[in-house]
Amino acid sequence: MKRTSFPVLFFMLALLIALSCVHLFGLQTQGISNRLVFWEFQFPRLLSGVLAGAGLSLSGLLMQNLFQNPMAGPYVLGINSGASLLITILILGAGPTVLNQLSYASAAMMGAFLAASFMFLVAKRVQNIQSLLVIGLMFASFTGAIESVLQSFAAPEQIKQLFIWNMGSLQQMSAAQAPLLAVFVLVGIVIALFLIKGLNAMVLGDAQARQLGVKVNFLKVSILFVTALLAGSITAYCGPIAFIGLAIPNLARAILKTQDHLVLILFSVLAGSCFLVAIDVLILLLDPWMSIPVNVLTAAIGAPYVAYLMLRRR
Amino acid sequence: MIKIENAQIGHQHLLISIDELKLPAGQLYALIGRNGSGKSTFLHSLIGQLPLRAGQLSLGNFSVQALQNDHLLRATHVSFVASMFPGIDALTLHAYVSLGRLPYLGAFGRMQDKDLSFVDEVLSRLNLTSLAHRATQNLSDGERQLASLARAIVQDTPYMILDEPASFLDYFNRELLLEQLQNWVQSNANRTAIFSSHDIDLCLEKGIKLLVLHEQRLTLLENPTKKEVMDLL
Repeated sequence: MKRTSFPVLFFMLALLIALSCVHLFGLQTQGISNRLVFWEFQFPRLLSGVLAGAGLSLSGLLMQNLFQNPMAGPYVLGINSGASLLITILILGAGPTVLNQLSYASAAMMGAFLAASFMFLVAKRVQNIQSLLVIGLMFASFTGAIESVLQSFAAPEQIKQLFIWNMGSLQQMSAAQAPLLAVFVLVGIVIALFLIKGLNAMVLGDAQARQLGVKVNFLKVSILFVTALLAGSITAYCGPIAFIGLAIPNLARAILKTQDHLVLILFSVLAGSCFLVAIDVLILLLDPWMSIPVNVLTAAIGAPYVAYLMLRRR
Repeated sequence: MIKIENAQIGHQHLLISIDELKLPAGQLYALIGRNGSGKSTFLHSLIGQLPLRAGQLSLGNFSVQALQNDHLLRATHVSFVASMFPGIDALTLHAYVSLGRLPYLGAFGRMQDKDLSFVDEVLSRLNLTSLAHRATQNLSDGERQLASLARAIVQDTPYMILDEPASFLDYFNRELLLEQLQNWVQSNANRTAIFSSHDIDLCLEKGIKLLVLHEQRLTLLENPTKKEVMDLL
């Protein structure tokens, strides 16, 4: 690890702690005095911001490695859409008995895995990222269309449930769901740390990575699995959240100027958390006047940054 | 020692057929042939990227099939320098060369002090030290080619295969490359290197053994005259 990376990582950790304190003790109106409110609402909300930010940017980093393209990410390549489609099917198709925390998450992960595998097969055929992004977009509108058709058969209650979920929010996650998401995200991070050697070699492409002793096919399946685990579980509990997965890893490479994935993973995890918690702090600040969904803010900041990256690549 | 017996090599069509060929270790071989004669295809078979259509091919104690099935064994047995390395965003020359140590690193891919000093030593041998912290995408094609050679040296394998490693190099760096390759094979009796080239004059001048590829045949020439080579091609 380069020496210069340490101060940056340390700074991100300090920033995350500071933002978390502001989030927990500075802004949430009920104050810390009420223990029940703290553990049932304030803390899970902060935790879901930390976990979702970390997991989404890590899954973006892994996908960029898998597709060997810095413009890949769970949202733009339709991974969220796959998760979203299976959740819709679950909410509409299954009775309330099946609707527990785990079934949500497993449906979303299944959808994410199928979508990621599909896009990966497509990527083998189309060589340039523009076509791939367009296909990702088409895939998203296609799953959106199926969802709309399904919704026309749904009861008003179910539609409301879906609508709220689709807005994306850090407040949906209950105290009971928090440990489950924490486990999924931590497992994802730990697996990713054991893939570092392969990830570093994959930067040179499949053939060179094989020549350096990497089991490329195993690595690719592992990446698909971890991506689905992270993006799927986060989408299940927080709804679709855009652009973090694409933007943060690019920021990591721009700031740290390295392709060492130990540094990139640590930075992406910390910076993703910071970004999403900061967004939620902003939402809390604006709360007295208006309530803004997370997705609106991440898109408002993330989309122009991604457009800037695209323009700079020319 | 590289041993080839009754080998049929090619993608869809048969490109090269070799009845028997033995290349003793401790030597540097230049692969010469016209455009499209199958030089890259032959090299890809040697590193196990392209399976043989028939026959046997072995590098030292291991057949290419065995190497294909064991990636880690292959990575410590044979290194490969591709003809082109386009350079990668945010990957410094030092980090690129260091990837050659990857097969020897632990689970998290951390370089030890001895790995780092090996890399530094090879960089200075190839006059690359001053470029070490430049991003590979901002280097010239020639500088990247030398970096690829450095990466293969750092990989520290008994066999090194290079696909036109000098195509972007200037006159001085071509001399440097050949000198380094000759030093590399001579410093250890187990080492063998094969590189493809169009620079027949320079190879003859340096007394490098030639492997001439012509009409699906591979012929080994030791100390030939230029006329002998040209007659074959």
